[in-house]
Amino acid sequence: MKAFSYKLAGSTDEATGTGTQSAFIAGGTNLVDLMKIDVMDPKELVDINQLPMRGVTLDNNGLRIGALEKMAYVAEQPDVVQHFPVISQALLKSASAQLRNMASIGGNLMQRTRCGYFRDVIMPCNKRVPGSGCPAFTGENRMHAILGVGNACCATHPSDLAVALVALDASINLQGPKGTRSIKLDDFYLLPKDTPNREHAIEPGELITGVTVPHTNWYQRSAYLKIRDRESYEFALCSAAVALDMDAFMIRDARIAAGGVGTKPWKLPEVAQALIGKRVSQATFEQAAEIAAKDAHPLSQNGFKVTLLKRTLTRALVQVGGGVA
Amino acid sequence: MNMVTQSIDRFDGKLKVTGQARYSGDHSLPNLCYGYLLQSSIAKGRIQSMDVSAAQSSPGVVAIFTPFNPLKIYSPAQAGEEGMISGDVIPLLQNPTVDYFGQTIGFVVAETFEEARDAARLVKLQYQTQPAIVELQAGLGQAYAPKSVSGMGATVSVLSDGVTSIDEALRSAPVLVSATYNSPIEHHNPMEPHATTAMWNGDRLTIYDATQWVQGQQRNLAAVLGIDEANVRVLCPFVGGAFGCKGSMWMHSPLTAAAARVLNRPVKTVLTREQMYSAVGHRPSVRQTVTLGATKQGELTALKHEVYSTSSRVKFFAEAAAHRTSLALYKSPNILVTHQIVPIDFAPGTFMRAPGVAPGMFGLESAMDELAVKLGVDPVDLRLRNYATAEPVHKLPWSSKHLDECYRVGAEKFGWSRRSPEPKSTRNGDWLIGQGMATALYPAHRSHAEVKIRFQSDGNVSVSAATHDLGTGMYTVLAIVASEALGIPPERIQAVLGDSGLTVAPVAGGSQTTASVSPAVAAAADSAIKKLIATAVSGTKSPFSGMNPSDVSYANGVVQASGKSVPFEAVLAALDRSAVEGSGIASPGEEEHKYGFLSFGAQFCEVRVNEWTGEARVTRFTSVMDVGTVVSQKTARSQVIGGIVFGIGMGLLEATKVDPNSGWIANRNLAEYLVPTNADVPHIDVEFLNIPDTTFNLLGVRGIGEIGIAGVPAAIANAIFNATGIRVRDLPITPESLLVDQKGMA
Repeated sequence: MKAFSYKLAGSTDEATGTGTQSAFIAGGTNLVDLMKIDVMDPKELVDINQLPMRGVTLDNNGLRIGALEKMAYVAEQPDVVQHFPVISQALLKSASAQLRNMASIGGNLMQRTRCGYFRDVIMPCNKRVPGSGCPAFTGENRMHAILGVGNACCATHPSDLAVALVALDASINLQGPKGTRSIKLDDFYLLPKDTPNREHAIEPGELITGVTVPHTNWYQRSAYLKIRDRESYEFALCSAAVALDMDAFMIRDARIAAGGVGTKPWKLPEVAQALIGKRVSQATFEQAAEIAAKDAHPLSQNGFKVTLLKRTLTRALVQVGGGVA
Repeated sequence: MNMVTQSIDRFDGKLKVTGQARYSGDHSLPNLCYGYLLQSSIAKGRIQSMDVSAAQSSPGVVAIFTPFNPLKIYSPAQAGEEGMISGDVIPLLQNPTVDYFGQTIGFVVAETFEEARDAARLVKLQYQTQPAIVELQAGLGQAYAPKSVSGMGATVSVLSDGVTSIDEALRSAPVLVSATYNSPIEHHNPMEPHATTAMWNGDRLTIYDATQWVQGQQRNLAAVLGIDEANVRVLCPFVGGAFGCKGSMWMHSPLTAAAARVLNRPVKTVLTREQMYSAVGHRPSVRQTVTLGATKQGELTALKHEVYSTSSRVKFFAEAAAHRTSLALYKSPNILVTHQIVPIDFAPGTFMRAPGVAPGMFGLESAMDELAVKLGVDPVDLRLRNYATAEPVHKLPWSSKHLDECYRVGAEKFGWSRRSPEPKSTRNGDWLIGQGMATALYPAHRSHAEVKIRFQSDGNVSVSAATHDLGTGMYTVLAIVASEALGIPPERIQAVLGDSGLTVAPVAGGSQTTASVSPAVAAAADSAIKKLIATAVSGTKSPFSGMNPSDVSYANGVVQASGKSVPFEAVLAALDRSAVEGSGIASPGEEEHKYGFLSFGAQFCEVRVNEWTGEARVTRFTSVMDVGTVVSQKTARSQVIGGIVFGIGMGLLEATKVDPNSGWIANRNLAEYLVPTNADVPHIDVEFLNIPDTTFNLLGVRGIGEIGIAGVPAAIANAIFNATGIRVRDLPITPESLLVDQKGMA
């Protein structure tokens, strides 16, 4: 860990006015980890925990979650559990109870990849040191992405919450030196392409103040399915966030995204489109899931994720949509 | 002595959960400084240059030792011998050669741990890199048969009269199964990292060191530091898990001691989790082919078990997967085991919980299940049809074997009779349910040990030896055994362990501690009682003054003669004596050559496997153990549960991922090296037959530290086959192996 200075921000303006060598710290569960292993080395930590970016509220404008709320707290809120089960489930399947008690919503959305090459400074990594190369393409890549893989990086985005939020068309609310703005979370995450070091459409000094999820009644028919090697405290091999709008056995609308397979939380609008107007059946779900992997580029060790992605989606769709004999 | 078996709480439990137990890294000393290992980032080559100038001027740095400015470390006495020894046998830091990724190539000492770590990162290195072979597959072309494996030849064969080769026996077998099984490199990952705190007083070294063998560490440290053994005292009263990786000397210990000597200051080194993946051993990767020939009734006619295991090119270690299993378990008229070493440019391997046995039983007991399926015979019946009533190689009788009872009791408790042998026949929603079983075995080892017992004037008794409690329960076991021998409640017995200055005891490895040390307690108790009586009759102020010792007796802490009954502490008080003590020894004898000594068990497992996505989870486990007398029920049960959890890890989760191009270890942390969480561990039902093996020792105890893991990965794989019809032969069993052809989807 490199030496750094620390500042407790008294106001949002004070926080966003800090320089490019600074990093915001809330729960610190990912940032401090990465500082300990020299992967991140901000000169200054700006502690935002006293800022008023709190609250979980539901009204006609949607579900608004303050960026500083803890994962554990949000997961248990009755409005979230009842109206957005996919969000609650994604949170509860993240990390461990201890981490969920510390980690904030904003921090969760900003967490860095678990790629081992990224996390070890003795190895090359295009995300950490642009242009240094990526050993994962020919090395250990079982956990890596099959979608959105460019020439420079194949690391997965690790957040479960982000998969659920991207599926539900959530927006992220930002405040910076130039004011406030709101963009779709799906647009917030960038594909690695040739600049895997640029992960987010965030400007210098900008701070996540919260997320807003549109309020749609049928989001209560949703679920998050996470497939992992071990039962707890483990990142996804593949996950699916699914919400279905049903009229008896007919699918009126759908929201779908996948995790553990993409270089960003992977929204699947074509899969959703393929379901609309169809009657629920295993065959319908399988045909739709097939579309998910059509652009997949598996690596040497993760070819199984192509099958796993389709199976995970199908299983999640059956779970949410039912109708399978 | 009576058979002892008690269920009491762990004596050291409160100390541990309240933070009062001081581990080797917990000692703070005046003027202490901190050591930090600098490890290589290449797998093979030479250090061309090492610029330490920036590191040297970094805050708090006391000294930086490198191959160009080394600490003198002599070669350990045993270096070069093939076979039993382990640990680092090539002194590190003595030359600029790099033989494996993560090799210690520098030792930085600073005023704080953080300063030492920061300085280590400032050392600028230039390597001349050479191509390295870092995995079993890539090294197969260089495989060779070693001189010895587990004390035997690389090839051991038993052929019945008139049979000229195992292949001939296999050719004439009516039924044949043959399959190859693979298991990866695995790491021990004890909760407590290796830690060493060394201080010198003149030419005398006192060292707190995380070890399974204080006296072995004492000898090895003396040898490599070039000092007299009598001048080294190794202390290690508490060990936070070891599983074999603290059984040998690793270089951070002598480097710490040597630095403390040169700097004339105490030095503490605590390894990081990352460093432990290349500095303190691992279980080698194994490829094994098991070929079984049998009659149509399932009687084995030939058993061939061929093993390849990886070994560091600089340090021989054989993971004896066939020698320690197939030569011991089944009655077969023809048996052949072979072992080949695959040299790789990787850190030294070492003993890891049930060395050889854990991977070997995965191969052998999976193959037996494959045979049972092929024959349509129940897996338990198949094992009973091949039950070895004598040790298969030398045909010696068993000291005590009740494995058939383990199968029977286990099947009953588990409900085995309700199992459908047909794969995919039981389900719960999307989850396919399967049941499988496997045998467990582990050799019963025993070594010479000496125990001291001391009656104290405070009314307590101490029982001591240079042995260890690795979390295994040895403090509790010794208190129980001494309590029985002396008729004093265990609360009044203080076990003292983990000091090289105590009486001789073997390495706390090979599941031998209870079987080695406990029998000496009886002799020590006899000796201490004799001393107590002699003292009671000799002193003029004693209530028993002048009596004939043969008229004086001892029972339950009380000295008795001619109507007088006086507690031993009152006798000592009357004589103004602080204590009297006696010691006793116990050693294996002639029986060693007359019997086969093994512990046995039966493992029954239920799994669920999701038919869409292939996750396998263990849902139920029953284990029945034939391990002789069980001294301490509670800690023994914990030991077996711990072994089964270890086995669940080996079966479903654990693998050290090595970058094939660089030898870099991809998952050097507990987030990415997966071990079971509580959510992965179901209720585990453990039963002990508790039949004393008094041929083995007076108490009838055999070891239980390792047998718990034996057979577990096979029981899981067999249950997964029963659930899915998919036979997985590579560990760990992860979803990609189970995505095949279940829902009729690609």
